[in-house]
Amino acid sequence: MALVLLAGCVTPTKPEAFFQLAPESPAHKAAETRHFETSGEAELLSASAAVLQDLGFQISESVREVGFLRAAKERSAREYGQEISRFLVGLLSASGFALGANTLVLTPVDLHQQINATLVTRPLDVEGSRYEVRILFYRLIWQGSGQSGDQYIAPGQQKMEMIRDPGIYQQFFARLAKAVFLEAHKI
Amino acid sequence: MSSEKRVRRLAIVVLGLGAIACVTPQPEPDLLAPTEEQMKLRSIQTRSFEMTDRNQAIRGVIAALQDLGFIIERANESLGLVTAARFAEPSYYDVLGVTVTVRPEKGGKMRIRANAIYNNEPVTDAKVYQNFFATLERSMFLGRD
Amino acid sequence: MTAPQRRAGCTRSRSRRAGLVGLAAGLLVMGCSPYNSRHQIQWDSRTQIWQAEASQVKVRAAQSRIFDTSDALLAIEAVVATFQDLGFQVEVLDEELGIVSGKKFIGREKPAVGVDPHYYLYDEESLMVFTKAYRSWGPFWHRSDLVRLTVTVRERNPTQLIVRAAVQFQLRPIEDPEPYQKFFQTLERALSADRQLRP
Repeated sequence: MALVLLAGCVTPTKPEAFFQLAPESPAHKAAETRHFETSGEAELLSASAAVLQDLGFQISESVREVGFLRAAKERSAREYGQEISRFLVGLLSASGFALGANTLVLTPVDLHQQINATLVTRPLDVEGSRYEVRILFYRLIWQGSGQSGDQYIAPGQQKMEMIRDPGIYQQFFARLAKAVFLEAHKI
Repeated sequence: MSSEKRVRRLAIVVLGLGAIACVTPQPEPDLLAPTEEQMKLRSIQTRSFEMTDRNQAIRGVIAALQDLGFIIERANESLGLVTAARFAEPSYYDVLGVTVTVRPEKGGKMRIRANAIYNNEPVTDAKVYQNFFATLERSMFLGRD
Repeated sequence: MTAPQRRAGCTRSRSRRAGLVGLAAGLLVMGCSPYNSRHQIQWDSRTQIWQAEASQVKVRAAQSRIFDTSDALLAIEAVVATFQDLGFQVEVLDEELGIVSGKKFIGREKPAVGVDPHYYLYDEESLMVFTKAYRSWGPFWHRSDLVRLTVTVRERNPTQLIVRAAVQFQLRPIEDPEPYQKFFQTLERALSADRQLRP
């Protein structure tokens, strides 16, 4: 409830701002991109698909002509920390039963996550002897049901998180470099 | 006597309301006709670029959208279509979607049209499209020797 | 839950007991939501981004097979035939990159009686988060029935191909060798059948 109120207080960013490069976009690009000295774009894409498969992803879409690959994997998002705080909040709120009122509060917990990867290859010169590979990892999280007194909170509350941890990108490119027997150059 | 009249009047009103409720709204003949606003919008949404390689243009569009932090949803080479979307952060309830088409034009040019939609409503502000095409120009040729 | 009726004397302890029972029942409901407990619990859900449950080498060995042929196209055709034999819909097919991917529902949660439109309407391929369906059932409907399969066909050396199949079921990757043995048996059968058809 409080979150909904807080969300209403946030000033929305105007659409025109989203079509200008933000100050952090070069840093994001550097983390997400590597260059490869090769003319084999199909091999880069095929190897990327194999590396994603190795990381447990399922390929959702492949458009070879523009070097586009999309992959996803669905996993449980349930965490001990959230379950423990749900239990404690429930326990504290249940004390209201002594007064005869239904004050039970069960906060919805994260249950289901879909981790996505969007990969794009692009030639860096006219001859096509160097290629750039850019990958973005992000995850969608859905919550379960809850209770707030007499009101039932329906499941399906969704949120999204861009994955900015450089470790996963380094790991991906290390595996890709191994799979194509080439060096992954940073930009 | 008067109560009987009242009941009858009430019945007529109720039936009348019921009749209105039961009538399905007829689709307007202009439902699929383009409005003048949409025609005006087309010119600000479109830009011509000096290039002949359509594949290169599509890849440039994808790169530009990635630089802007969009998530590419669909890319279709044969139709020259790219669809992307993102949250209008910091609000995670507002969604900004964009559809870009790339079509070759006479005279060695490429016509690129972008449709931006903010929360299911088309964006009509010209500044938005100006910003997009400025970024597109940068990303289109960046990184090339 | 209604407040227990108040009467004089020893009913104090009775109402307290009822309150405790109610509290215990409430806690039970809280902790053991059957749908929630289907989901594997962990300390940090972000570890799922790169985690594999078994060792990488073992998983790769279980999921891959080497075929003594250089004809990648034949192998991919056989993979597609196997998808059809197993009842998977082919959604991604790229013969140059060697990717075949699809899904199927195994009807475990299908309603026994009648038709549930949600069972068929749900499309988990769309980026659901952009549909503004705030507080909808999301991907929860019949999620237990979804099986996702991705197969890659790559050249191991000029005379051999390596085929790797990866399955996801009930929010977990399948890493035991047995289901894959059955898959590759079907694939081998399809491959030999295709070879016979070829001139």
